[in-house]
Amino acid sequence: MSKRARKNAKAAGTPPPAPAVTEPVPVELPTEFYFPPDDPPIPVDERDLLAVMRDWRHGRATRTIMQVISDGYIAVLSLLVLGAMLAGALLRTQSLVAVCTTSSCLTARTLLPWVVLFAVFALTLSAAHLFGPVLASAAEGSWLMDAPIRRRRLLTKRLVLPLVLAFAVGLLLGVLVALLSGNDTASIAVWGGATGLGALGLMAFAAAAQAREARGAVRIARTSAAALTAVAGAAVVSVAAGWVHLSLAPDALLPVVAGVGVAGVALAVAGTMYATTHLGEIRRARLVSGGSLVSGMQGAAFALDLGLVRDILVDRESAERGHVKPVKGRGTGIAALVWRDVERLYRWPRALPGLALSLLVPYALDALGASVVNPLLSGLALIVVLVPFLGSLRVLTRTKGLARTLPFPTTTIRTAAMVVPAILAVVWGLAATPAFWGIGAAGQERTLADAVLVSMATALAGLMGAVRWVTAKPVDFNTPMLATGAGAMPPTLVFNLFRGLDMVVLICAPVLLGWGAGWSLGLVAVVFVFLRGTFDMDELKAQQEQAMREQQALKSEKDKIRVSRPRR
Amino acid sequence: MARQGPVLRVKDLKKSFGPVTIIERFSLDVRAGEAVALTGRNGSGKSTLLRCIIGADRVDEGTVELNGIKMSETNPDIRRELATVIDDMDFFPDLSVVEHLDLLARAHGVADPETVVDEVLDEVQLVPQSGQLPGTLSSGQRRRLALATAFIRPRSLLILDEPEARLDVEGVAWLAGRLKAERQRGLAIVMASHEPTLVDAVATRTLRLGADAGE
Repeated sequence: MSKRARKNAKAAGTPPPAPAVTEPVPVELPTEFYFPPDDPPIPVDERDLLAVMRDWRHGRATRTIMQVISDGYIAVLSLLVLGAMLAGALLRTQSLVAVCTTSSCLTARTLLPWVVLFAVFALTLSAAHLFGPVLASAAEGSWLMDAPIRRRRLLTKRLVLPLVLAFAVGLLLGVLVALLSGNDTASIAVWGGATGLGALGLMAFAAAAQAREARGAVRIARTSAAALTAVAGAAVVSVAAGWVHLSLAPDALLPVVAGVGVAGVALAVAGTMYATTHLGEIRRARLVSGGSLVSGMQGAAFALDLGLVRDILVDRESAERGHVKPVKGRGTGIAALVWRDVERLYRWPRALPGLALSLLVPYALDALGASVVNPLLSGLALIVVLVPFLGSLRVLTRTKGLARTLPFPTTTIRTAAMVVPAILAVVWGLAATPAFWGIGAAGQERTLADAVLVSMATALAGLMGAVRWVTAKPVDFNTPMLATGAGAMPPTLVFNLFRGLDMVVLICAPVLLGWGAGWSLGLVAVVFVFLRGTFDMDELKAQQEQAMREQQALKSEKDKIRVSRPRR
Repeated sequence: MARQGPVLRVKDLKKSFGPVTIIERFSLDVRAGEAVALTGRNGSGKSTLLRCIIGADRVDEGTVELNGIKMSETNPDIRRELATVIDDMDFFPDLSVVEHLDLLARAHGVADPETVVDEVLDEVQLVPQSGQLPGTLSSGQRRRLALATAFIRPRSLLILDEPEARLDVEGVAWLAGRLKAERQRGLAIVMASHEPTLVDAVATRTLRLGADAGE
């Protein structure tokens, strides 16, 4: 009974009605059940099962393929936009590379495809490790994998797709970078083939490892590939900057590249043969885990909610880890929140190598003589590596529930969640200062004091970009859509694509325009005030509504008093 | 010929999550016609134990055997004999209730799948919902559908994790009667349950897990 009802009942002088009490009636257990006849099972052909499912599904689709594509137009359009940006950047890079004439620059250019080769290998292994590479949907896990069928016959086709994808992506990226590096047709073919076949071989290796439950082998291979990427990247920068003198003819290492391709083919054959014969031994939990991850990420990716995609990956990683050693908190109030972030960093230090590697970007740009765009591009790179450190802020933004449990204003909580990433950004800024000062072949570009300011502005621009990316609201498809040439589109979608990037462009603009880093640092302060939630429109609206409700309540209270006051 | 050994044999099973040991040296033999109920407080390890038994989770130490064969979820012979209803069931969004059961019956090589599915659907009172897609079912109806999967297929061991969850009073009574009848026909059953009606009606042995188990 509600408080008001109880009050009314009391006022009326009647006791509140007692809750209805029902005597428990003993339920008699049924005794008649159906039991299937004990006939011996008939042999099952797995392909027949799939054919039956296909038959059931026939004519049941509610949308045509064109409608599906049309529904995914947001993703398609965004890919086109990003593709156009990428193509533009590549063309600009090619024009830069074309004027590369010095021996060190040419050698660096020769080494560049190696960076891409190793990066593609690391990415291939990461994707394979994350998704399977062989996977099944949760429903297949429940209804097909539970039966005594030969899983191998169901899963063989599932192995083909990751192999083809790995080869295609590797080939494409290998050809693209070899082309940009100014190679001739034969070299481009060798680089493309080696990258594609190497990726194919590693995907097959990952599939074989999945069948053997040897996830550690894939992890080691992935870490090795990532380390080689870093080494190759550092070599390119060092050679380009003239710190290391190395003279290589463009075709000098081609036999080695071809060898990588051959090794890729051998690995692909061996891995595919092993995986194919052992597909039936992959545990259902492993198969379904990758399938669930894909289906979860699919929805988020179609809505272009990259934040949600990252959330899904982080949740999955936490679930896999399962258990951590509890650590006592320190301090009280806001300090306790900050300290917890420090503990979290100590517990999950995996993002730190990424932050350290991102230092290559300003040094590489300085070495290549691109000092003007250095703050902008370094800031953009910094966004990517700082996002993993903003986990607390992401959780606080995603759900308001946690913030409501804390006795502080939202702005204070948000600021606390930015402390550790801000310290890391400042350290990055100090470490990157020489790159902005000018230690490459082009020589000194600015005074040390200016370099410190520019470096700090860049670091904080990256931080603000990452904060903006993490705290941006997901696209709201319930808002009125904008009519565009490509169809209706939520207004926030376009901004969401560039969230974070806009902050870096804004903050770095004064440096790019030659106005000085002081202006940039001033803009950092302004942006910070906004991003910490000082002007959170939702919160302001809620506060306004609360104030109106209180005012209304006060008014009705006054009215009540006036009415009930006795007249004299 | 009647089977002599236990249907399920669990020996010295140990399972930990990090430094926390959930199950320590657990042993259990279940013979045909026996039903073992696992009870205990939340977090006492009932579900983890069941997941280890069916091979969904890997054990740290110990062995699990079904009819003398080492438990491996990837072995079709094991899957033929082992029926499970644990809380991880998912559905094809575009297949109806009856099609799900039909698919499972066919995958198990049931000789007359349509008759078996119709009878079991009738028993779990899902005939009116037989053409519905899973997304439109209530949670109780989904649970009935999950339970139906255990009864349309051959089995010698049935593992259930809180099978009474989301069932109404009549549903629990039906389940208790059904499991009792299954046991009497020679099925070995291991179930985790918080429902005294079910445990009393079905179990021939009750094991209380957890720190306060007292055994």
